[in-house]
Amino acid sequence: MKRSFRKWLLWAVILAGLYTAPVIFGVFELNLLLGASIFALFSLSLNLLLSFTGLLSFGHAMFFAAGAYGTALVLTRLDGCSLLSAIFIGAASAVLVALVLSPLLVRVSGHTFAMLTMAFSQIMYATVMKFSHITGGNDGISGFSIPSLVIPAVGVVDMSLERNFYYFAISVMGLSTWVMWFFTRTPFGSIMVGIRDNPDRVTYLGFNVPLSKAIILGVSAGFAGVAGSVYALFQNMVSVDGVLGPLSSFTPLINCFIGGLGTFIGPVFGTGIGTILLELMSAHPEQAQLVFSLVLISVVLFLPGGAIMLYWKMTSRWIVLRNTVQTVIFKRQP
Amino acid sequence: MDAIAVMLITQGIHGLAYGMLLFLVASGFTLIFGMMGILNIAHASFFMLAAYVAFQIMQWSGSFWLALLLAPIAIAGLGILMERLMLRRIRKFKLGKAVVLFELMLTVGIMVCIEEAVKNLWGTDPEIVNVPELLRGLIHFFGMTYPVYRIFIIGLSCSILLLLGMILFKTRLGNVVRAAVQDADMAGALGINVPLVFTLVFGLGTWLAGVAGVAAAPMLTVFPGLANQMMLDSFIVVALGGFGSLFGAFVISMLLGELTAFGIQFFPGYSTIILFGFMALVLTIRPSGLFGEKE
Repeated sequence: MKRSFRKWLLWAVILAGLYTAPVIFGVFELNLLLGASIFALFSLSLNLLLSFTGLLSFGHAMFFAAGAYGTALVLTRLDGCSLLSAIFIGAASAVLVALVLSPLLVRVSGHTFAMLTMAFSQIMYATVMKFSHITGGNDGISGFSIPSLVIPAVGVVDMSLERNFYYFAISVMGLSTWVMWFFTRTPFGSIMVGIRDNPDRVTYLGFNVPLSKAIILGVSAGFAGVAGSVYALFQNMVSVDGVLGPLSSFTPLINCFIGGLGTFIGPVFGTGIGTILLELMSAHPEQAQLVFSLVLISVVLFLPGGAIMLYWKMTSRWIVLRNTVQTVIFKRQP
Repeated sequence: MDAIAVMLITQGIHGLAYGMLLFLVASGFTLIFGMMGILNIAHASFFMLAAYVAFQIMQWSGSFWLALLLAPIAIAGLGILMERLMLRRIRKFKLGKAVVLFELMLTVGIMVCIEEAVKNLWGTDPEIVNVPELLRGLIHFFGMTYPVYRIFIIGLSCSILLLLGMILFKTRLGNVVRAAVQDADMAGALGINVPLVFTLVFGLGTWLAGVAGVAAAPMLTVFPGLANQMMLDSFIVVALGGFGSLFGAFVISMLLGELTAFGIQFFPGYSTIILFGFMALVLTIRPSGLFGEKE
């Protein structure tokens, strides 16, 4: 009872914090927060594959890119496209890419999966560069405006205002995160963990492992596509090196590891830590990535559970300390 | 000889030189993977780092030969340190299946770390390494002219290849290494000190990458992006040639070198798509590669 009350209080504080942020912070902090939450959603979608299904993807950026390019293309080529349908088309194009590749991807795991996803993201990079009359090649696509959000029976919300777009984007991402969390709690979520731990056993239980993997891949790609789509709207441009560059698939992976592998919410902490670190280092941008990589190496070597494990260790120490104090000083049994 | 034939042969030798360098890098990559099951993403970064170390040694001493001798040894030392202090530590965690994820991420971290450290130490501008006095100039044969240095690269790689082959297939040490590649647990049960062999092979692999880096320094300019192309190419070589297969790595390296040389001329832009598409196909249909043994 007390625990669940605390949990609800925590959520209320987080929501209130996110929704009062535009009042407290200026434009710079707001953009930082929005950028970080886009990458948090991207990392969370990767985490569905990494922590829950045990598949390490070196090419998750291709789904992010598919979402970004889908939204950017539909906004530049199609007049009168509404905001929600632009985001939906972004997510759908990412799912489409995942479904086209899934017959090849679901057959493998481990190293082969990592190499295969990397190969596909390289193919995507080369394709985007080759069809530059559609994708803009190196220059990318830019100069599209964000359409207004039309809510039936309420009115029209102008998205060119920073604050309105912030509320809209944070709602989309909050909703996506909640849907993903719900997805991991369904019976299908248990199949995911089963595939991670022992795929043969899942087969014996009568579930179709390749089909399940294809569905997980589609869901994960879809949310990466939502993140990419919001990214395109937020940046007002899409470029090859921005969404498909050499580090763009590694950044969400690094976030997952720093946050804590094997948990749902870990990547959010990882992204937060990464953003704060890069912001602290903003006076020395040359060394920022170096420090970031050293943090990753030390997390992998000395703290395999990431930031969440550190928090758990500290709370358990605190509980031990509290119990000792209670028994020794107050002569009370814990 | 007519101009087209001359051009084709020149391109062919260009491809051969690049293929040989690629083989030096990829052979270490495939040996490490076949033996320890570690996909060392940072392997090509060692290649890039070696080129920079060679550049620095030449700045200090001015001798290319000293760089060729010392830089690979320094790189091999780094590789051995990485294996002893980092990879071995992760294996001790008893993470089960997840150990693969942690090893991959560790090598990713080292890759980013090397690249950023190089950018901080030497800057992002390309550095030019001069070809040594002895190998400067052109060679004339059959009415063609060709830079001596590329011939030297081919010769150097061939002699290292021969030496490697002799060690691997003719000595007792080679027997031990090949046994450990095939089945590390069984080799350990037979009384072979497998951890020592692991360290040795890791050192050898990074040494080969180091030699390739020094040899490449005068041919390609030295810049931080040098690792990217080499990493992707050696990925293709290992995936197509079969994990742990030296012969497969050799054949695919040569093919890839020639394809890179001729692809620029005949179908620019499409060669990457075709190559990676082929790699994806081979990985799904025959995950052990074209020349690897079926599991």
